[in-house]
Amino acid sequence: MGNKTLTICRAAPYGSALAREGLEAILAAAAMGQEVDLLFLGDGVFQLLDNQSPEGIQQKSLHRNLQALPMFGPEQLYVCASSLSERGINPKQIKIPGIDIKVIEKPGALIASYQCVLNF
Amino acid sequence: MKFSLAVYSAPHSSQSAASALRFAKALLAEGHEIYRVFFYCDGIQIGNNIAAPPQDESNLAREWQALQREYKLDLVICIAAAQRRGVLSQREAERLERPSANLAEGFELAGLGQLTDAVANSERLVTFGS
Repeated sequence: MGNKTLTICRAAPYGSALAREGLEAILAAAAMGQEVDLLFLGDGVFQLLDNQSPEGIQQKSLHRNLQALPMFGPEQLYVCASSLSERGINPKQIKIPGIDIKVIEKPGALIASYQCVLNF
Repeated sequence: MKFSLAVYSAPHSSQSAASALRFAKALLAEGHEIYRVFFYCDGIQIGNNIAAPPQDESNLAREWQALQREYKLDLVICIAAAQRRGVLSQREAERLERPSANLAEGFELAGLGQLTDAVANSERLVTFGS
């Protein structure tokens, strides 16, 4: 299947269902062999923090779902540098086992290089 | 040009759900093709046939249904998102042992693969709501 796709993850992990349902869409696309890269932008960068404990609010861990990504293929994960610094997050605080997350300065140029962009 | 639409917002809650319908009408009026409309997240509420908006307000579901009949549109509602929020076909209601079915005519329930397929087979995908 064609159309190299970038999915932009903009939502914080537990405040709304968007982050979870977005990730479900990403996993479905990856499982179908579609080439999908991810860009974490704005509040979406909170999804990458490695010290989440959502059981305190009776939620399932979204971070654990992100860890399933490498099983589905060669996706590249990008995170916006200014989104991190605006929120006081050190790049060392973001971590997903088995995945290399690239910190990028210019999300616009990255987005422009894709044929299709999904937003969640 | 071949378009697909992804609608994430519920009708009667935000403007973007109405904008999606108006955009679809504009596309068809200009002679473009709509490959699929995929309703996801709260957008799946469009398929709830027991919603009863006041007579003097717009009825988005009815308008989508009319458009579907006229242009044979593929209106797909994400089955997983719909199960969570309570929009079920007769078959799903029986399978999940729920007391009633409420999927509106003209819409069909299907998996997220239909969104992936729409991405792969459309020249443009336009998203409404977030």
